[in-house]
Amino acid sequence: MSSLQRMIMCPVCGGSVIIEHSDQVNLCTYCASPILGPNQNRNCTNHPDTLATEVCHVCKDLICDDCTEKRVGDYGGKLLTIVNCSKESCIAASDWARPLNVEYQRLANMDWADKSDNFILRITGVGAVVMMIFELYFIIGMLNLQYFTPFGSLLPTGGLFPGILVIILMVIGNILAAVLLQTSLQVYVHERQLTSGAFLIVALILEAAYLIWRGLYFNLVQVPDPLFLTILLAAFLFGTMLVFIGSLGAIYIGNKKRIQMNRAMDQLNLSTKSALKEL
Amino acid sequence: MPEENKVYTIFDRPFGLRFIGLLEMSFGAVGLLSTVGLLAALLTGNPEMLDGLGYIYALLIFVGVVIPNLIIGNYVDDLRKNAVIAQIIYSIIAMGLSGFFLAVRGIGYFWTVPLFEIELVLAIGNLAAMIFAAQVFIIMYLVFNWDKAVPPKGAKVVRDRGKARQMKRGLVLSPLAPTLIGSDGTTELTDEDSKRILDVRKVVTVEGMAILCSNCNGATPLTKVQDNRLQCDYCGVTLGISNVFVPCENHAEFLAATTCAVCGNHFCRKCLTAQEPPIDERWKGSTIFVCRTCFEGRYRPAVTTTSFVIPIDELFSTAGARFSSVSRIYRRFLGAYGGAMKHLWRLPLQLLSSLGKGRGSSDNCTGALIMMIIIIIAIPLIAGLLLLVGAIIIIPFLFYAGLVVVTIEAIKVISRTDFQSIDSVRIQSVIKKKTPKVKESTLRSDTRSWEQDFKSKSLAVQRKREIERRERMSRRNQDHSFVGGAGY
Repeated sequence: MSSLQRMIMCPVCGGSVIIEHSDQVNLCTYCASPILGPNQNRNCTNHPDTLATEVCHVCKDLICDDCTEKRVGDYGGKLLTIVNCSKESCIAASDWARPLNVEYQRLANMDWADKSDNFILRITGVGAVVMMIFELYFIIGMLNLQYFTPFGSLLPTGGLFPGILVIILMVIGNILAAVLLQTSLQVYVHERQLTSGAFLIVALILEAAYLIWRGLYFNLVQVPDPLFLTILLAAFLFGTMLVFIGSLGAIYIGNKKRIQMNRAMDQLNLSTKSALKEL
Repeated sequence: MPEENKVYTIFDRPFGLRFIGLLEMSFGAVGLLSTVGLLAALLTGNPEMLDGLGYIYALLIFVGVVIPNLIIGNYVDDLRKNAVIAQIIYSIIAMGLSGFFLAVRGIGYFWTVPLFEIELVLAIGNLAAMIFAAQVFIIMYLVFNWDKAVPPKGAKVVRDRGKARQMKRGLVLSPLAPTLIGSDGTTELTDEDSKRILDVRKVVTVEGMAILCSNCNGATPLTKVQDNRLQCDYCGVTLGISNVFVPCENHAEFLAATTCAVCGNHFCRKCLTAQEPPIDERWKGSTIFVCRTCFEGRYRPAVTTTSFVIPIDELFSTAGARFSSVSRIYRRFLGAYGGAMKHLWRLPLQLLSSLGKGRGSSDNCTGALIMMIIIIIAIPLIAGLLLLVGAIIIIPFLFYAGLVVVTIEAIKVISRTDFQSIDSVRIQSVIKKKTPKVKESTLRSDTRSWEQDFKSKSLAVQRKREIERRERMSRRNQDHSFVGGAGY
């Protein structure tokens, strides 16, 4: 079977590509990725000596960087980047999408923070997961103490059925740990990093205070099995330390990003101050 | 799309329903084994076993356990309303019988069963307790998940696996079957051929920039491109060449497959993940490709994505939904109860009237009134309390399980496993022979442009405050000048 008779596969998704134009871009029948025609020149349509880098989303011509206009189009509420060439008809057809502000893109670039953000995410994330596992273990351990050991009779009931108070207080602790976990993952998102870091510190203080209060209230120092308290304390200290370090990092990096954005705003005259000056 | 017009497939059934089906089938299989074993024992060794009632026991197990469990278990997980109703009724009966058995014999009851030369001690009490717990779980699950277990009236359900798979394929990340494709681009290769290709294929090449095959992921150098086509060195399929000759942003050794839909940069198959497309008539493809940065919501100019929101809010809403389900069931019960009361009224009223006519009528009347009060108040109250106790017991378990799931999800996020590149998904699907799972798009529904980033934040509020401040200032100045003028 000759290669010409074979099905041409899309190099992106593996869907079939039907060649309708030999000297123009054809689209994959599945994912609509543009695929070169068999006789198509790979250079820019307007600059025959320059290798093309983009394809116009309107006319499907190959274009180089000089002929490219990038826009941000709102597709059903989702902002996606589209490219058009400098032909008037293509500009008119892409007019519904807003031009991408290249200068803003440069000033707002935060690739410099990738490494530190990765580190912060892992530190806070692992810490919060340890805290969560610790809380999940704590509730099971407390229920075990309440119902399956003689120590259960010594635990306070608060006038309720034995164990109910333990469950209520432990579930509140679990919710607090879940909030901590959810927030710890948000430190990776640029715009939430600073507030997440600050919120984590507050949540951590609350969690620690609540934990110490629970330990004292249930008089866990008197628990016959010393391993229970040791494991709890070790896990809690380890988790707290990680979350605390991660939160400080998130606040520090987040603040640097805030300063960068403020500078970008001033340079582009987009800040609130400059807008008020125009008033 | 209205729920009743939605087409359901066999793959839409919840995991719990599938588990119930398998559980019932396993009960049926164990019952069948017991029946055969009992009959064999009776026929070969001991006809007087079980006080001569062995055959009756065998028949009862076959009719009461084997047949209903195998039949209902086979149909209950096929999204069939009648099967689910039958399952609930059967579970209630089974629960009642096992509960009665436990009450009479206790949990410590056991049988000693001869098996060839040895004797087996069967903890029948424990078995009854397990059956009781299993039936309670089945009833609770089916009642609470009625909407998931039973499709809405009039909804079409495709139960044929082949058809269902085809329907699903319209939405999967790749149009390719989970097997390697032969050089003609259509024939599916045998396992041996697939294994040979996957074993020898290379993902890098020393001959400069390469293209990664969308079929086998092998890297074929660009020098072999002819007429803007390339034959994969390993599986032989003919690949088209993507629109431009630009290397991947992260891997200079690979030609970019396409651009990220969000940031517009060029990436190879290792750096892109597939997502469901936006619902917009301007978008032509059945999928979109997003790079890791945009997938993780870290592209600033037009932030549209994030994969860092784990479903904690769903956890609370699920727990809340359980309570609303309980109240819905209770309302349904009250409705049915009210309907039944029309008929129930007749009996106590007749009783009351007949008693009232007799001698010593005041005591009898009191008795009849108490009976009426019990019917009107006590029964709904007891039913409500039972439902509430059930909910209170089951919700903490669900909540705890939900927290465990949330923790697992968080671990996945931290280890970055939720970004699945299209090349790794392809090879996984070929190795596992499973079509990749359709994942919900992580594209955010609410988006903003770089302009909104600044302007919409506080500008409107600040502008209003500034105008108010200036108005106040001008008023104050006017007042001062008026007071000052009066002095002269």
